[in-house]
Amino acid sequence: MKLKRTKLLVEPPASATSDIAFILIVFFLVCASVEPDKGRAQTLPRSEPEPQKDKQSQNIEVELTRDAVIMNGNPLPKETFVKTIILKLADKAREEDKIVAVKSRKEVPYSHWMDITGIIEDAGGVITLQLEEEQTVQVQ
Amino acid sequence: MIVKRRQMNASVPAMAMGDIAFLLLIFFVILARARDDSHLQWKPAEGVELVRPATMNASVVIDKYNVTHLNGREIPISTLSEELKVILGENVAGRRTVLLKVHHEVTAVYFEPVIEAISEAGGELHHILEEYKQR
Repeated sequence: MKLKRTKLLVEPPASATSDIAFILIVFFLVCASVEPDKGRAQTLPRSEPEPQKDKQSQNIEVELTRDAVIMNGNPLPKETFVKTIILKLADKAREEDKIVAVKSRKEVPYSHWMDITGIIEDAGGVITLQLEEEQTVQVQ
Repeated sequence: MIVKRRQMNASVPAMAMGDIAFLLLIFFVILARARDDSHLQWKPAEGVELVRPATMNASVVIDKYNVTHLNGREIPISTLSEELKVILGENVAGRRTVLLKVHHEVTAVYFEPVIEAISEAGGELHHILEEYKQR
């Protein structure tokens, strides 16, 4: 005697497909929206068009090239720079003496700039940017 | 003779709810994408001891093509300071946070004027970085 197998319903209910799509979209949105939102705050004094030269000369001057650091005219390896800046800033009590003027050459990448300014701030320094002003000279 | 009024059934079909939600979601996603800067291409520089900013009042991105964007919209550096002043308005300290997202290879000639403009507008700068990974 042959027994007939009962047919099973294998088709998913069509009414659920939009709900599945909705859940899938929410899942992909959550996955895609993971953006970096952490970082480092930096306090910069407001820009002054004419810096006071007599005060600036007492401050530490750091010049950045593409991959090197020059402090008060002396090129230093990174490890030596870290030690020197900590020592130099440690004996300065007043806030205005802790100002470090950072001058960057045009080709300095952001990653290098952030690295060095981070070291200065961790040592207690206050960053100021020394920018070259554009001047138009008319030649007659 | 009283003729009974036929009752009208005015219920919203429950079947369509999923489709309505789906279309609404797509609408809001497109609307949100026009305002944010997630479509811009940039890779953050690395840093340590990173913190999440308490507030976010404006976002400036310099993408990998050295193009500056304010809140997802391309902007010339010459007008950045003025536009930021308008956005930040008379906000008190602590509510003037400007997120700065710079591609790690962008050079000083592009990012320094942006930092200067944020400083000039009285913005509180917060560099967005990636946690340093030891390789």
